[in-house]
Amino acid sequence: MRRSLPLRLLLAVTILFFLLLIGLPFWWVISGSFKLPQEIIAREPTLVPHSFTLQHYAKLLDASAYPTYLLNSLIVGLASSVLTVLLAVPAAYAFFRMEFPFREGMYRAILLAYAFPGVIVLIPIYGLFAQLGLVDNLLALIIVNTTFALPFSIWMMRSFLATIPRDLEEAARMDGAPTPVILRRILVPLILPGIAAVGVFAFISSWTEYLFASVLILSDDKRTVPVGFAGIIGQYQIDWGLLLAGASLAILPVVIIFSLIGRSFVSGLTDGAVK
Amino acid sequence: MIKRGFLRPRSKKAADPGVGGNGLRRRGLSERKLALLFVTPALGLLALTLLWPLILAVDLSLRDVRFIGKPGAFVGLENYSDVLSEARFWQSGLRSLIWVAGNAVVQTALALAAALVLHQSFPGVQIARIWVLLTWIVPTVVVVIIWRWLLSNSGGMINPLLMQLGLLEAPVGFFSSRQSAMTTLILINSWRWFPFVTLMILAALTRIPGDLDEAARMDGAGAWQRFRRITWPLLQPTLSVLLVVGTLLSFNVFDIIWLTTAGGPSGGTQTLPVLIYETAFKGYELSRAAAISVLTGLLLMGFAIAASRSMTREEGA
Amino acid sequence: MTYKTTSSLTFSILLLGSGSALAQTELMLWHMEQPPHRVERVQELLDAFNAAHPDIVVKQEPQNWGEIYAKAPAALAAGNGPDLLFAIPDFAPILKEIGAVQDVGAFVGTLDAKHDLLDSAVGSYSYDNGVWAVPLYNMAMSLWYHKGAFEAAGLAAPKTWSEWQAATEKLTTDGKYGIGLPASKGLYTDQVVYNFMVNNGASELYNADGTFAFDNPKTAESYAMAAALQKFSPPDSAGWFWGDAEACFASGTCASILQFTTITTYETQGGGDAANLGVAPIPHADGESQHNTIAYANAVMLLSDDPAKRVAFETFISWLLEPANYGRFLNMEPGLFLPVTADGAKADSFWNDPLVQKYKPQIETMIANSANGMLFGFTNGRTFPSIAPISGQNVLSEVLQAVVIDGVDPAAAVTDGQARMQDIAQ
Repeated sequence: MRRSLPLRLLLAVTILFFLLLIGLPFWWVISGSFKLPQEIIAREPTLVPHSFTLQHYAKLLDASAYPTYLLNSLIVGLASSVLTVLLAVPAAYAFFRMEFPFREGMYRAILLAYAFPGVIVLIPIYGLFAQLGLVDNLLALIIVNTTFALPFSIWMMRSFLATIPRDLEEAARMDGAPTPVILRRILVPLILPGIAAVGVFAFISSWTEYLFASVLILSDDKRTVPVGFAGIIGQYQIDWGLLLAGASLAILPVVIIFSLIGRSFVSGLTDGAVK
Repeated sequence: MIKRGFLRPRSKKAADPGVGGNGLRRRGLSERKLALLFVTPALGLLALTLLWPLILAVDLSLRDVRFIGKPGAFVGLENYSDVLSEARFWQSGLRSLIWVAGNAVVQTALALAAALVLHQSFPGVQIARIWVLLTWIVPTVVVVIIWRWLLSNSGGMINPLLMQLGLLEAPVGFFSSRQSAMTTLILINSWRWFPFVTLMILAALTRIPGDLDEAARMDGAGAWQRFRRITWPLLQPTLSVLLVVGTLLSFNVFDIIWLTTAGGPSGGTQTLPVLIYETAFKGYELSRAAAISVLTGLLLMGFAIAASRSMTREEGA
Repeated sequence: MTYKTTSSLTFSILLLGSGSALAQTELMLWHMEQPPHRVERVQELLDAFNAAHPDIVVKQEPQNWGEIYAKAPAALAAGNGPDLLFAIPDFAPILKEIGAVQDVGAFVGTLDAKHDLLDSAVGSYSYDNGVWAVPLYNMAMSLWYHKGAFEAAGLAAPKTWSEWQAATEKLTTDGKYGIGLPASKGLYTDQVVYNFMVNNGASELYNADGTFAFDNPKTAESYAMAAALQKFSPPDSAGWFWGDAEACFASGTCASILQFTTITTYETQGGGDAANLGVAPIPHADGESQHNTIAYANAVMLLSDDPAKRVAFETFISWLLEPANYGRFLNMEPGLFLPVTADGAKADSFWNDPLVQKYKPQIETMIANSANGMLFGFTNGRTFPSIAPISGQNVLSEVLQAVVIDGVDPAAAVTDGQARMQDIAQ
C-alpha cells in the first residue's frame, strides 16, 4: 500500500496535529504538578520545568483522603461495568434476535432516555433513594451509573451482534440447542470483545460522573475522585500546585487501567466478530 | 440436556434479523417468554431509576415547590406559562441550539479526521488507537481545571503560545466575552468528547468491506473520490445515529459549562441545562426548573423521534 | 422463668444500666472548609474536645460549597442531614424556611456576655424574633497591594476614589495591571462590587418595608467606578473565580486586589516577603468619610431539636470560643479567618501561630478594617427571604457584567438589576 507523497505529508501533519492537541495539555499539567508554586503562576510560563518538587503530591496524599477516593471510584466503576454488562447483553440479544411484543417501540424508547437533562431526575432520585435507605451508599452510585450507561450500551451491543453472521447461530439451532445454551456456548466467546467495549464504556462513564456523586454521597470516606477533586479546589483560595497534582493523579489510574484493557476495548469495537 | 424438538429449524426465508420464522406457536411463546426475561432486568432498572423519577418530576412541575422539604400546592400549568413567557427561557434555548450545532460541527470534523487517520496503517497506529481516548477518560472536573489554568493570564500557556505564533498581539481573556466564552467552551467540550466519536466512526470504517475500496483503487480512483463515493455513503448510517445520540448528549451537557463559566459572562453560556440547575438550586424554584426540564425533554424527544424516522435502518445486518 | 430467660433478662438490665452510663451524644458537623489542612485542624480540635468530654462525640464531614446548596435541603428533607452546619448569612434563611434551624438566641446572649461578640456578626443572623446561628469566624475584605510597586511609582495607598483611579492607571503598564478586579458571574464578584457600594453610601439593598432600594444614583456611581477600574484588570478577569485574583497578585502581575486575605498564597506562591505586603482599608468615594467593607460572619446552625443534642451543641461551641481554643480554630487558615469575639482578638492562641506572627501588622489592619463590615441584604436588622435567590443567582455580578461586557450605561443596568430582583422576589 504505497501512498503518494502529498498524502503521506497530509497524514504526517494530521498525526502531529492530533498528537499536540491531545498530548500538549497533559504535558503541561503533569509537568506543572512538579513545579514550584511560583513557577506555576509565573507570567512567563515555561514549557520545560525549571524547578522540581514533590511537595504538591506529598500534601495531596498526606492531608487529603485521595487514596480513599480512588478506591471508591474503582469499586463503583467495576461494579457498574459488571452490572451494565449483565443487563445489557441479554437485552441486546433479545432486541436483536428475538421476537416479542413492542420490540421496536421499546428499543426506540430506550435511547430517548438521553433526552432528559440529568439535573431533573436528581431530586426525585434522591428522594427515592432516601426512602430505600440508599443515600450515602456506594450502591446508589452503582445503580445510577448503570442506568445512564445502559441505553447506549444496549445500542453498542446490538450493533456488535449485527456483525455476527446468522449462520453460526443457525447451525447451533439446527443441532437443537435451546437459546440459553446458544447464548452461552457460542455467542458469548464471539462477542467477548463487544462485552469488553460495553464494560469499558460503563467504567469510564462511571469514573467521570460528578453530579449525582456529589449529592448522593454525604461522608468523605465514600467520595469518588471527581467529587474529592472538586473539594480540594476549596473556597476562597486556590492552591494551583495541589490542583495540578490532583489532576495528574486523577488521570493516572484510568491511564493504568486503560493501558491494560484499552486494546480489547478498541479491538472490541473495530475488529468485528467474524475475524 | 439438549431438548430435541424444543426448537425447530428456522425458515431461511426471513432475512430480517429478529423476525421470527414460521415456527409453531409453542416455540413462539417460549421464545417470547425468554426474550422478556432477557429484557426485563434492564428495562426494569430503567423504569425504576429513570421513568419513575421522570414522572415525579412532571408532578413537581405541576406544583409550586420552591425547594425540597417545603411541599407545594397544585398549580396546574402555571409554571409552564410562566416559563414560556420568560425571555430567559427562549434565549437559553437559542444558546443550547448554538451549543449543539457548534459541538456537532467541531466534533464531527475532528472525529472524522482522526478516524480516517487511525484507519491507515503506520508505525504506532495500534497505540494511537488506544491513546486517542485519553481526553475522554479524564473526569470533567479535571478537564475544567486543566483548561482554566491553560487559558488564564497567570501562568497559562495558551496566550503566550498564540502570541509567539503571531496570532495574538496581547493576552486575551477567553471567557471575557459572550461569543468567545461560548466558542472556547465548545472547543473544550469537543476536545473532551471527540475521541469517543472517533472510535465509533473508526468502528464503522472497519466494517466497510475492504474489497470495495481495493477494487476502486485498482480502477484508478483517487483517495478523495474513494472517500466521497464509497466511504462517505457507507458511513451515513453510523453517522446518523451518532448525530442523534450525540445531539441528545451534547444538549444536556451541564458540568463542563457550570464549572467553567457558571453560565456567564452576561448569560452568554447559559444553556438550558445551566438554566435548569440555577433555577432549581440557586434560585430556589424547584417546580419551575422541573417545568423547564419537561419542556426540554419533550423538545428533544420530538427531535429524536423525527430524526430516527427519517433515518434508514442502520444495521442492515 | 427458665434459666435462659433469667440470664437474658439480667443481661439486658445490665446492658441498659451500663448503656446509660456510657450514653454518648453524637453530633454530626458539616462544614465547607474542605482544603486538607483545614480539615486536619478541625479534626485536631474535635479530638481534643471529645477527649475532654467523654459523653459527647463530635464528628465532622467536610462538604463542598458548590454542592451544599442542593445537598443540605435534600438531606434534611430525607432525614439524613447533620446536627450542626456551618453557614454564611444568605444560606440560613433557606434552611429556616424548611423549618430545620433552631433558635439559639438565648445561647448567643450568654456567649455575648462572656466574650463580647461582634454586633454585626450577630445581626446577620437575627431576624424574625430569633437568632438562627452562632457566629464563629469573620471575613472582611481589604485592599491588598505590593508596597514596592506603589513606592516605585511614587504612590501611597489610596484613600479616596480619585486617588484610587489615578494610582491604578499609573500602575497599569508594561504587561502589569494596576488592580485585579473580577467581572465574572459569581459570589466573589458580588462581594467586590458591594465594596464599592458600601463606600459610596449605597449599602442598602432593601428598604425597611421590603421594597428594593437598589436603584439609586449612588449605586449607579458605584458601578461606574467599579467598571472604570475593571478596565485596568487582566483580560481574563471576566472569567475569574476563587483563586484567580490571588494568583494574579502572587505572581506580581496585579499590583493590587480586593480580597479577604492573600497571606497564605502570598507566603507559599508569592515569595513571602512580609515587608512588601501592603494592606489598607478599601478607599471610599470622595464625598464619604468612613472606610467600609463587606464582612461575612460565618456561623454554625443547630439543626436538631433533640434536647440532649442542644446541650452537647452548647457545650461544644462554648469550648470552641474559649480563648485558649478559639485561636487554633481560626488559624485553620491563618490570616483568613478573623475573630468574632473581643477576647478572641486578644487571645494568645490566635497570635501564637507562626504565620500570624509573621504577618502581624497586616492582620491587625484586617481586624481593624472589619469593624466597619456589612453584608448586602443583612444590613438593617431585617432580613427578607428573597436575599437567598438574589445572592444565589449573583444579581450584583450580573449588573456589573452588563456594564463591563455589554457596555450598558450604569444607571440603566442598575434599573434592570432592580427589576430582576423584584422578579425573583415574587
